[in-house]
Amino acid sequence: MITLLAIAASLALTPAAMPTPPGELPVDPYEVSNSNAGAEPLSDPAVFEAFGGIEGIDRIVDDMVERITVDPRLADIFRASDFVRLRRTLKEQFCYLLGGPCDYTGMPMRSSHADHGITTAEFNALVENLQLAMDAEGVPFRMQNRLLALLAPMQRDIVTR
Amino acid sequence: MIRFLLPLALAVLAPGHASASPLEVQVTDASGAPLANAVITLPAPDGFDPERHRFQWPMMMEQQRLQFVPHVLVVPRGAQVEFPNRDRVRHHVYSFSGSNAFELELYGREEARLVGFGHPGAVVLGCNIHDAMIGYIRVVETPYAAMTGADGVAAIADAPEGPLTVTVWHPYATSADGTATLALAEGDSAGRTAQISLNIRAPR
Ligand code: HEM
Repeated sequence: MITLLAIAASLALTPAAMPTPPGELPVDPYEVSNSNAGAEPLSDPAVFEAFGGIEGIDRIVDDMVERITVDPRLADIFRASDFVRLRRTLKEQFCYLLGGPCDYTGMPMRSSHADHGITTAEFNALVENLQLAMDAEGVPFRMQNRLLALLAPMQRDIVTR
Repeated sequence: MIRFLLPLALAVLAPGHASASPLEVQVTDASGAPLANAVITLPAPDGFDPERHRFQWPMMMEQQRLQFVPHVLVVPRGAQVEFPNRDRVRHHVYSFSGSNAFELELYGREEARLVGFGHPGAVVLGCNIHDAMIGYIRVVETPYAAMTGADGVAAIADAPEGPLTVTVWHPYATSADGTATLALAEGDSAGRTAQISLNIRAPR
């Protein structure tokens, strides 16, 4: 029994054994790691607080995703997206990067964006929507910039055209 | 049944002309290895109108797992070809092939787009986003067309009898228009598989 449990535990770490969360579409197996989040998390608790903690981050991500789906520069790119998964993984990623008590379980930025053919203009358009969502949540500019500074270098992995 | 009776009736009315028999052609490269995706065609009968012709296979070029499926599609001139995107990522399909050139932005799972091909010849397909995606459409003006499978063999069930010129096209053929021809005398191919070889270059 103990060996069985040990096997089950080690299986849970291998990519192939990751269950698909309810309401989400299956994805090809990948290795789960916080390093997939694409940056080291901030350690200044003031930033996480300024974002309104987990609830504030959840609202920001929901608002950003809604803006993206009606932004004519971006909507079509997300036409076939799994928004349940996208919202979940974005919330995890932002919470993790802002020093919150979360783990990022999504894919690395490079592999999750590689096939989408994203341009610099599209990258900037997405960031604009994030800024509007942070404004709507009342996150001060200075604090917004702490997050944006972590995301900006990800352009190297996300933009392919 | 009626489709079958008509050619029979014609054969009776015009002895020595237009009776049909199966034709099998095997296409190989210069080393004798079978070539898949080669298209064989025979000259069309007089008065044939490709715009009204329908082949047995779907007029459809899917994008699936970042590939064109099928790799080669044969269509009659004038065909409207569906380009369903089965992927969840967008594709930007284009062709620079002369008068059949076109461009199509297809977003994830977008499945209702048609492209018309009004000119005979080979259409090379690419995707602006995924360089490795390459496909071909062979636009023909004959009802007698077939594509080789993995064994290099293509079959035309109702080939006209009499001397025939078989044209073979392959996307990687080195000849200027990608084709080679094979002349068959009357009865040459009866009961056997005609052979033709093509010089090809490595796919890019
Ligand atoms: C710093 C900027 C960005 C971050 C932090 C980010 C983050 C993410 C995350 C966490 C995922 C989910 C990964 C997974 O499923 O495991 C994702 C997927 C995706 N992202 Fe981004 N992204 C960014 C920029 C962009 C841009 C600029 C675009 C396009 C304009 C884009 C388009 C997509 C698409 C289409 C998906 C796949 C969604 C699906 O099919 O379910 N992303 N991104």
